[in-house]
Amino acid sequence: MNKLLPTEWIKLRRSIIWLLLPISPLLAALSGWSPLDIGKEPLQAWQEALAVGATVHGLFFLPLLTGICAALICRYEHAAGGWKQLAALPVRRSSVYLAKMTVLAALLALLQLLYGAAMLVGGMLKGAPIDAIPWEMIGMLVGYGWLASLPLAALQLWVSTAWQSFAAPLAVNVVFTLPNMLVTNSEDIAPWYPWAQPLLAMMPQDRYDVGAFTVSVETLFIVVAGSFVVFLGAGWTSFLRRAV
Amino acid sequence: MFSRILLAELLKIRRKWIVALAIIGPLGVVLLQAVNYGLRYDYLMDQYAGDPWEGLLGQVFWLKMPALFIGLALVASMSAGVEHSAGGWKQLLALPVTRLQVFAGKVAVTLLLLLFSCTLLLVFTFIFGLVLGLEVSSTPWAELFKQSYLAYLALLPFIALQSWLSLTMSNQAVPMTVGILGMVLSLISIALPDWTPWAWAYQVVEPGMGLTIAGAGTATGLLVILIGYAHFARKDAS
Repeated sequence: MNKLLPTEWIKLRRSIIWLLLPISPLLAALSGWSPLDIGKEPLQAWQEALAVGATVHGLFFLPLLTGICAALICRYEHAAGGWKQLAALPVRRSSVYLAKMTVLAALLALLQLLYGAAMLVGGMLKGAPIDAIPWEMIGMLVGYGWLASLPLAALQLWVSTAWQSFAAPLAVNVVFTLPNMLVTNSEDIAPWYPWAQPLLAMMPQDRYDVGAFTVSVETLFIVVAGSFVVFLGAGWTSFLRRAV
Repeated sequence: MFSRILLAELLKIRRKWIVALAIIGPLGVVLLQAVNYGLRYDYLMDQYAGDPWEGLLGQVFWLKMPALFIGLALVASMSAGVEHSAGGWKQLLALPVTRLQVFAGKVAVTLLLLLFSCTLLLVFTFIFGLVLGLEVSSTPWAELFKQSYLAYLALLPFIALQSWLSLTMSNQAVPMTVGILGMVLSLISIALPDWTPWAWAYQVVEPGMGLTIAGAGTATGLLVILIGYAHFARKDAS
């Protein structure tokens, strides 16, 4: 495992992913802060910016980028017979799968950190007072968004390892991400819907008292933890049994 | 000659789920609207009591544009992906066909699939209107055709851009991320200036704007296709 992670890093090091990750955080910060007036209530401005930022970043970008990252870390193995090579090495298949999952989770953590950083810089550029930065809220929303994207990451890794094609797992992801536009209105379905969970988790509480945004954090994360275990287990076992 | 290239392209995308995607897209949009109307039928019918057809068309349009923005990126990426895997380009370009024919064949398939998809959505929307019990005689055909086909023309710049990127880059993560960016930008296009192509796609249904926007979309689309071809023609076959 600790030998597999550096090899994964070598495969990723010169890839295009580093140019793709900052796009969404930059756009989120831009649309969150540019129409905003700081006014007398800096906390309210932060909440408003984070709500708009979460919508821009979480509604489509985060779930779809999760799918792209999952497909990308499987791409070089699919393309050049890499799975065969990995299977011939003295490493366990479980370790290969867990290394891929770790890399995927790390990429998403980086994406979230970039989002948090972009929102912070946006606020400072807009002249929000430094001493009023709600560090705790920003950290919590960034972290919650990351945790809530993990079930989807496990699901997409499962699909991406199972199918040779790069686009097919993405197509599935897109087909299920688009309904987010309606699903987030429903309190009953949204917490159970892996594609909507990141947005729900990243929305500042009490900002929007509509639809599924009123679901409590505890409820959401019980579902998130449960579905992560299920998707990771299913992907893992199917990878163990798969012919290379 | 071109019809044979087109046939070869259609043969390549068989069993690749690309045609299925062009059907699932419009079907999904109308099914989601069915759920939307199912959950809050009274509210929606009450809100659009004056003109229920117009309400239905508005609801469908609002969901179909983001779906089209990302769908066209997927279709372009999937039809190019056939060549990117397994060294298809080397083989294809070694055949006695010009690069223009290869490029045109690929773009034409993407264009046709999306036209097919838009037509299906028109039909599905009409059928769903009948299911809702709206009057056939009051169907706003002009509006329905406008939001199906003029919107398609307004999207031509994006079909051209995604085809260009997908055909010239072997790593499809890039065109797909550009596709997502396009979809998100289109959703926040109210904040963008009117002359940006992302804003056009939504202005196409505004009164009196349709033909202007369709014309601008077609012109820009052709320009982007030409630039894309110029790039493709000079590129190494890898």
